[in-house]
Amino acid sequence: MDQHFSLTSEVRDGRLIITTSGYVNNVGGETIAKEFDRHFAEGAREIIINLAASQVVNSVGMSFLIEIIERLEEVKGRLVFAGLDPAVEKMLAIMGLFRFAGKESTVEDAVNSFTKTPTHRR
Amino acid sequence: MKQRGIDLAPAEGGRHHIDAVAESYRLLRLASSVRDLGAQFTSAVSRMLPQAHTLLLFRPAGGALWENTADGTPAGSGPGILSPSEERTAYNALRTFPDGSSLGVVVENHEPGGPIVDDDLVSLELLTAFMESAYQEILHRRQEKDLIFSLNHRLLQLNSLIDTGIEVSRFGGIIPPHQLALQRAASLTNASRGWVTVSGNGRIIETVSFPPGMEGPSPRDRLGSIATSFSFGECTYAFLLSGKESRNGAHMFEGTDQMLLDALARQVHASLENRYLHAQALEMQRMEQDVAVAASIQKRILPTDLPHIAGYEVEGVNIPSRSVGGDYYDCIPLADGRLALVIADVAGKGVPAALLVSSLHASLAAYLESGTPLVPLMQRLNRVICHAATDDKFITAFLGLLTPSTGELHSVNAGHNPVYWRRGNGTVDELIKGGVPLGMLDMDFPYEEDRIVIQAGEHVLLYTDGITEAQNEQSQLFDSDVPLKEFFRRQNRSTPRDFIDELLASLKRFTGDAPQSDDITALHLVRR
Repeated sequence: MDQHFSLTSEVRDGRLIITTSGYVNNVGGETIAKEFDRHFAEGAREIIINLAASQVVNSVGMSFLIEIIERLEEVKGRLVFAGLDPAVEKMLAIMGLFRFAGKESTVEDAVNSFTKTPTHRR
Repeated sequence: MKQRGIDLAPAEGGRHHIDAVAESYRLLRLASSVRDLGAQFTSAVSRMLPQAHTLLLFRPAGGALWENTADGTPAGSGPGILSPSEERTAYNALRTFPDGSSLGVVVENHEPGGPIVDDDLVSLELLTAFMESAYQEILHRRQEKDLIFSLNHRLLQLNSLIDTGIEVSRFGGIIPPHQLALQRAASLTNASRGWVTVSGNGRIIETVSFPPGMEGPSPRDRLGSIATSFSFGECTYAFLLSGKESRNGAHMFEGTDQMLLDALARQVHASLENRYLHAQALEMQRMEQDVAVAASIQKRILPTDLPHIAGYEVEGVNIPSRSVGGDYYDCIPLADGRLALVIADVAGKGVPAALLVSSLHASLAAYLESGTPLVPLMQRLNRVICHAATDDKFITAFLGLLTPSTGELHSVNAGHNPVYWRRGNGTVDELIKGGVPLGMLDMDFPYEEDRIVIQAGEHVLLYTDGITEAQNEQSQLFDSDVPLKEFFRRQNRSTPRDFIDELLASLKRFTGDAPQSDDITALHLVRR
């Protein structure tokens, strides 16, 4: 793993919570995608990506996030971003990610958002 | 034509076959990925040929190796199974698309001894054509998606450029402007790393990296990098971005990347200039406030009205060259009926000079009130000013104690301009006895005291060098053109007010439009 990027993940009530730290670029995006793949194969369909400690995202990193959204769309799953830096939030908005993914201030808010609008589970 | 032995009536079997083909076409067109396409194709073939084993292989554009679409496993560099089968136990098809990618189809009939019959061949050709069409649609959708992504990214770059411009010019931000610009430049150009090096006077002052914590750029980092720099004051800010990223490996930076980096660096440059000017404006504002306070204090120190002394006329003037001057004069009645005449000039102007004048005024008032004799008084003043002033500051001063009833004037001149005493016979004497300026030497300097008696009709003029050294536009001194001593000698019939008015008018005529270079102060006393 790149020394400038790291992530942790946990599954809480069947929801995957990925928490990143550092630059979400090619390496960072790929690391997120691999973590997602691993849990997606095991049936995870409700995903939270907490980017609170990632203040910089580039378009290569973003393309991985878009792929995750597309994969979840195919199975009627859902992704919610949490802890977005205002600059990152604006980037994701311009790139159109929030048409298909949610955003919440905190992980707790993101978890609660799933409770309010349950996702179709396979 | 050989026919497959489907256990259905011909009409019903044909309709079923057509329905299956139509359904296959519909499902293939719904495929959103190559993997999906492979699954749908395999499913479509198995509906028509339940005993068949289907393999859909994919070779990406520019790739040399094939992979199985079902599970993404490698399928080698050129599977022989893609070669046409002479025994017709298998169906093979290879399709290459405009983007350079290829699909390979292998369908083997696992029915014992069963070759691919003609009907199956037609169906497989049809399914392959459908699959080809569906793949073209996937490619079109992907191109469309890439185009939208690219357009959005350009929009993002422009937007971020504007936002960054606003953010770097915002004062009091958490991140320094050059560091913020580096982050944004790396993000917008997809650089994997970057640096800003601030150097000045032949040494590196600061190196900031993104991501943070990296060592300075190595020669390898500089390969294929983009860079820009600017100078501000004595510092040079050098930006370097390295390792352009893409999903397909390393890329070369593009012209737009360089333009973005240049634009962001220019924003930092403008921000630093604005910060500097803003700091200067704040400093100026603070100084003006200090000056206003000092001017207000000085206004209270300088006399607004001079005392009325029976048998004498006295008039003074002070015109500071700045809002706060370094000149001081006063005419102070003492408890014993005497009168203190004082004039002083601090080396320098502005607030520091005004502060020293303030010290002189307070100390003088205190010593006069305590009845300290003239010479010890001047010695004590010297010590006070020595302790209050910085090394380059001192005060030239003249202090005279007048007994109005007798006209007796005792005085000490501490390095000040000669005080002129115009005698009844028209001659002008100079009162120069005294010693060094106050604050110049921290020692009990033995000041000398002078003593004169002012007779009726005699004048005394105290002044500062702002009069004698007033300059005209040709940088000539007033005293060299109109010697003040002579000017004073000629004005023997005027009142102090008339004399000062005439002196100021003469100064104005001489200096013309030249700016006032020093404070103008004078005190004129006449015994009637």
